[in-house]
Amino acid sequence: MRRFFSIAAIAIISICGLLSISAYAQETVKVGFIAPLTGFAAADGYSSLESAKLAVDYVNEHGGIKGKKLELVSYDDACQPDQASALTRKLIENDKVTVMISGSYSSPSRAAAVICQQAKVPFTSTYAVHPSIVEAGEYCHRIGMAAPIQGRTGGYFAVRELGAKRIALLIMNNDFGVSLAEALKETAIKLGAQIVYEKKYPLGETEFRNYLNAIKAADPDLIYAPGYYNEAANIVSQAREVGLKCWLMGDEGYDSPKFIELAGAAANGVFITTDLNRDSERPMTQFFLKNYKERTNIDADMVGASAFDAVMLVSHILNKVGTDANKIIEYWDTIENFEDCSTGPILMFQNRSAIRPMDIQIVLNNQFRYFYRYYEPEVIYLNPPSGGK
Amino acid sequence: MLQILVDAIVLGCSYALMAVGLNMVYGLLRIIHVAHAALYTLGAYVGLYCLYHFSSSLWLSLIFGAIFSALIGTLMYRIIYNPVLTAPRYVPLIAGAGVFIASQEIFRLLAGPYPYPFNASFKFLSLTHSHLRITETQMLIITFMIGAFLCLYLVINNTNLGMMWRACTQDMELAASSGINVNLIIAVNFMIGSALAGSAGVLMALYRNSVFPTMGAMVSYKAFVVVVLGGFGSIPGAAIAGILLAVAESLLGMVPLFNLPREAIAFLVMVLVLMFKPKGLFGR
Amino acid sequence: MTFGYILSICTFASIYAILILGLNILTGYTKQVSLGHAAFFAIGAYTQALLVTKAGLTFWSALPLSIALSMTIGVIMGLPSLRVSDDFLVLTTIGLNFIVMGITEYFDFFGGAMGIIGITMPTLWGRPLSTSGYFAITALFLMLALCVSYLFSRTWGRLAMEATGEDEEAAQSLGINTALYKIYAFALSSTFTGLAGVLWAHSIGSVFPRNFSFEMSVLFLSMLVFGGLGTIRGAIFGAFFLYLLPECFRFIENYRMLVYGALLTMIVILQPNGMLGRGGLLDRCFSKLTKKKAENQGIL
Repeated sequence: MRRFFSIAAIAIISICGLLSISAYAQETVKVGFIAPLTGFAAADGYSSLESAKLAVDYVNEHGGIKGKKLELVSYDDACQPDQASALTRKLIENDKVTVMISGSYSSPSRAAAVICQQAKVPFTSTYAVHPSIVEAGEYCHRIGMAAPIQGRTGGYFAVRELGAKRIALLIMNNDFGVSLAEALKETAIKLGAQIVYEKKYPLGETEFRNYLNAIKAADPDLIYAPGYYNEAANIVSQAREVGLKCWLMGDEGYDSPKFIELAGAAANGVFITTDLNRDSERPMTQFFLKNYKERTNIDADMVGASAFDAVMLVSHILNKVGTDANKIIEYWDTIENFEDCSTGPILMFQNRSAIRPMDIQIVLNNQFRYFYRYYEPEVIYLNPPSGGK
Repeated sequence: MLQILVDAIVLGCSYALMAVGLNMVYGLLRIIHVAHAALYTLGAYVGLYCLYHFSSSLWLSLIFGAIFSALIGTLMYRIIYNPVLTAPRYVPLIAGAGVFIASQEIFRLLAGPYPYPFNASFKFLSLTHSHLRITETQMLIITFMIGAFLCLYLVINNTNLGMMWRACTQDMELAASSGINVNLIIAVNFMIGSALAGSAGVLMALYRNSVFPTMGAMVSYKAFVVVVLGGFGSIPGAAIAGILLAVAESLLGMVPLFNLPREAIAFLVMVLVLMFKPKGLFGR
Repeated sequence: MTFGYILSICTFASIYAILILGLNILTGYTKQVSLGHAAFFAIGAYTQALLVTKAGLTFWSALPLSIALSMTIGVIMGLPSLRVSDDFLVLTTIGLNFIVMGITEYFDFFGGAMGIIGITMPTLWGRPLSTSGYFAITALFLMLALCVSYLFSRTWGRLAMEATGEDEEAAQSLGINTALYKIYAFALSSTFTGLAGVLWAHSIGSVFPRNFSFEMSVLFLSMLVFGGLGTIRGAIFGAFFLYLLPECFRFIENYRMLVYGALLTMIVILQPNGMLGRGGLLDRCFSKLTKKKAENQGIL
């Protein structure tokens, strides 16, 4: 009996192995996509993959790429860099993708970027912020907001607009939180504010009361807590429970309806820096929000919007210059005022990172609402014309 | 300061509730029960299901969460652990890890990868003072933990079942030859431990207001530390160690230059304690 | 062609196989179960990353240093094994995993949460290696690790280690310095694991603290137990099989980790000694084919 089971198991595995090697033979333009569909980052992977699929459907309904269909080839990288690098090779060599999009976190995105650069395949990351991703080379771009810009926007808003003088930092200890906090710190100090508390917490932390009590003792005007919505929801609700009455500010990682669901009433009054303006009149934003909800029965989030935009931008480029890699990256750097995206229009690419107007949103009546928008070059440019490095 | 201690104690109660189940299993079978964390998540999801489909009452969620976890926990023993009891110790460890991986995937496939809020309504005591505030949920967790441990203590020390259980922890074979139904005792053992894990899942889901597939991972690592500190097989040890650990974590985490994450602090404390007391703080 | 993909998968599988060979010495021979081997892996990878990016050494000049340092730290991290044993040791190794991850994540010297970027491909005769070149290097190192493991398994040291693992007191009464052999096992194991870490860091090009999480340690131990504890062929088989298994299940993307977890549990329950361990399923098939006697099994 035991032996039978074991033999059966082995047989099943080997058959599956054989089946998995199958090829497509269709005239399509292929876009490679990796996202973490399993593991701790599964929620973000799901959002980005579904949004990318939504964008592909939109493109195909509107004529495809010069008459050919756009095809998304996606794999699950489980947020592991070794899987991401193997899969990128697979997508490039086996699936012959024209462009690679990473809907994954920084570590796998960086691994994929290096391989795309070697293979000379245009690559873009969506919401991963690590600076090294675009530094991999001229083939690598970023659709999401670069961390220095977002942190700087937060700094300007906190100090100049809200008039905060004492700022407490509660930082998620990964590349995302740390690079945002660094940028905000630099800007805030430059603008004359003071950092009164600073603490890093690991991804997955749920208990913040001891930090928040210490923050309360430091008496800040504003708490900046860069991180993702799961942890942020705990921070926000525990901050209110502890009795902190100061401003709370977050980042695009909060930008998910799940944040409001999890934090409940405590979410009201929280500011976030983001690029997805749900109050926007722009047709593409409304199309994305409405259709994403219809497709998945869940409200859209920033991670999804970023992946949606990546596919829209890539299809725009492919329609313009065809599938030649060199022409793609040549054109990519010259794009200006790209409107067909769900987030604020992409003004241009600087150092291969997207530049767009920065939005401040506030949670009011359990909804993200538009609050303020920055157009000034000194805030939203990667290399500000004056005053910057 | 007092406030920080109270918050830490509440956290410690959740560790202790998880650890006691692990500890009971270890005391009886000498198995490191990795899949215990799956029962914690299961409890939370079952509670959530009740909340969304039957009633918004917390008590129903708690009861269902505990019952389901108890059933699945016992089943897990029968299917997974029973066949490998005589195998080397690392075999049940790996089997449990496999179950844990699979369980996370099952939750993700059934309920989706997103976290759910856990908005249960209930009435309970609370305390608000200018220097000290204990919310309803915190009070509930402390009360539940004290109640559960008292019951467990009384059952183990004052009833026939408890006596049989103690006999089994001392020597399984001898207990069997004295006419004790060992299988029943093991089943009851798993049932109680799993029910506590399930109710801990519901309570923590309420406390954190979120339920998601990988919520069990961090708690289970912490529970291991608690089990070691408390001494393998010692139930009061688990309760005290859980609270001590949470207090140590919270206080050390506030020292400005001691910049290590909570888990690393917990394990550092554990390794240091083991160096001086290789059988844990309260181990026999 | 899927050549690059297969090479890349095989490179990683070979790296893990080197690591499992190391774990086999520790857990297979001396029965010191390590659920924190990702920590040793991280030390190799991080040392190499620091030497290459900050000290500016090349792959070849940093390699011996990284391995030596991995071994040294491995010995230090093995010291608790003299004090605690069995299940307490398992939990201590888990602890070491979390502590090492915490340190790399929270100290800027190790790159902190931003990781270490820019670990370039090694060069050979002035040219950077291609994917296939790197695979060749990895395969060569795997061969080397195999040879060392094999030669070691024929020495008295391995017997002393197994004796220590079976019954420490009995081994002591035979005059074996069990403490020495326990540490010896840690040293050898961390050497192999450090080498694997070095190779891994170069094949990815960057290291982040979360790449060396506890889940990885669980995977490593699963690979060894799955293949067969205490056997070299089991270690190799387990590493390749469990690494390739999720890759083979790509076509059921959404369910593959579920299938993986369930299969792992099922096979461990049905084959507690591993597929290629003593009395394992493949072991029996193998011995039938070669008509060897059962007593001769399990040396390799």
